[in-house]
Amino acid sequence: MKNRLKIERAILDLTQEDLAKKIGVSRQTINSIEKNRYVPSTLLALKLSAIFRKTVNELFELEEED
Amino acid sequence: MTSRTSTTSSFLECERKSLDRMKRFQLPNSFKKIGIGLAMFSFVLLFTNAFLWEMIELKWMAKYGLLGGMLLISISKDEIEDELIAKLRMQSYTFAFIAVVLFTLAQPFINYLVDFMVQDGEAVFKDMGDFQILWFLLSVQVFYFLYLKKLYR
Repeated sequence: MKNRLKIERAILDLTQEDLAKKIGVSRQTINSIEKNRYVPSTLLALKLSAIFRKTVNELFELEEED
Repeated sequence: MTSRTSTTSSFLECERKSLDRMKRFQLPNSFKKIGIGLAMFSFVLLFTNAFLWEMIELKWMAKYGLLGGMLLISISKDEIEDELIAKLRMQSYTFAFIAVVLFTLAQPFINYLVDFMVQDGEAVFKDMGDFQILWFLLSVQVFYFLYLKKLYR
């Protein structure tokens, strides 16, 4: 699954640490999501969508193998 | 009939809620440091006792201290206990469970074979002790969890 987290974070000028604090997770979790090593839960995806004011579909995109 | 169905479903709902509460049971992060201290102290005590005093009571206390310390490390929360950490923790418990079952099944045969080769065919089949199994289970879980966290850093 691809995601636009890094781009959206850059638009809002947020560090991984800032974003992690806003949604109550560790910086490692944000890093793992950005590097496609971890797929977040629906709850976390909705929190991210609220922060970036984008829908979950705009933030995350399915790939061929998914 | 309907009332019996609703009683059964409310009983199941109650059971599910109490099991969910148990699933979330974890100690605060400060207990991790206590666990590390207790495990290290007990480990040193176990070795010192084996070489210096050879007291059975002390050996028993050190073994319990070591297992208690490892259990505290295992069930205490991380500084930030989020869903990634919960996933890695679950993965480490699964891995530890399978590794311990395989180890427990294989170890007596390995011991037997080694004894057979070393003692010219006079080997005795011995089971593993409780302490060995629990120590292996807890150490595999704790160290595999640390390894997974390092991979996701």
